[in-house]
Amino acid sequence: MGTSDFNPLNLSGKKFFISGAASGIGRATCILLSKLDADLIMADINLKGLEETAKECKPTDIISVMDFSQSGIIKERLGGLVASFGKLNGCVHIAGKPYISPLKSLNEKTALEVFQINTMTALELSKAFANRSISAEEGGSIVYISSVYALVGSSANVGYSMSKSALHGITKSLAVELSPRKIRVNCIAPGFIKTKMGDNISHFFAEGHDEKIGQMHPLGLGEPEDVANAIAFLLSDLSKWITGSIMNVDGGFTAI
Amino acid sequence: MENFFNEIAELLEVDSVTGNEALNSFKCWDSLTILSIIAHADDNYGITLTAAEVNNAKTVNGLKDLFVAKKA
Repeated sequence: MGTSDFNPLNLSGKKFFISGAASGIGRATCILLSKLDADLIMADINLKGLEETAKECKPTDIISVMDFSQSGIIKERLGGLVASFGKLNGCVHIAGKPYISPLKSLNEKTALEVFQINTMTALELSKAFANRSISAEEGGSIVYISSVYALVGSSANVGYSMSKSALHGITKSLAVELSPRKIRVNCIAPGFIKTKMGDNISHFFAEGHDEKIGQMHPLGLGEPEDVANAIAFLLSDLSKWITGSIMNVDGGFTAI
Repeated sequence: MENFFNEIAELLEVDSVTGNEALNSFKCWDSLTILSIIAHADDNYGITLTAAEVNNAKTVNGLKDLFVAKKA
């Protein structure tokens, strides 16, 4: 047998659920997974963005509008989708909400909204996926997206870092708890990525902030595709002995 | 906006403000306090401010004017 067809990242026949699919890392992930021949359920609150993502994916991939600020929607919605789509081999929680606020202006309502979207939705999705009616019999892979700010401190980030560092605890606990089901649980902690979400919070900072942040990454700022590549690896069988890990995908941010 | 002075006094870490005070006269006036004002404006008034706009407001009354103008 020749080696020309060898592609351990081929995801043909594998089915995945991706949250936050309408833009940024979520969109890049869907496009990459689709190119690797995976079948996708792509979810987001933003229908227009989902439709844009879908244009670059396989026509058989499906989109679903979901508001992750509302708790308790995922299991029912996922159950309905899987009935026709087929059981899943993995899920990735990319949907997230930023929150820049120093402690003295921290708003409890906003902090809880951020926690709901960034953290509780990850738990809810994992709970649904772990159910045998949703995930494939042979197990699967769950991937969360946290942040370098779950690993290192930063001013004005307490609400956001709280929500992301909680994902690290979830990763470790569920990696053990779901191992008998052969479900692997891992988390990627990205550095600063050039996305619309980053643009949306740029007004918080003085001029020159972007350059300063860039200098904190030895390899420069990341692209959404850099995180998508790591997600594809963690969903594939190339990572079949990896669970409970936090993978820094940060251009060297945490190496300094 | 009726509680504006009370809200700003809390962010400026004083008991009360009259409106005429220069923003840079407060002991706590620094980049984190400016960020707090931007976050407060976003969370409670749904308005987007920049650090430069907050600095340019100069006084508490100037800050109130900025909030009112953005809200309009």
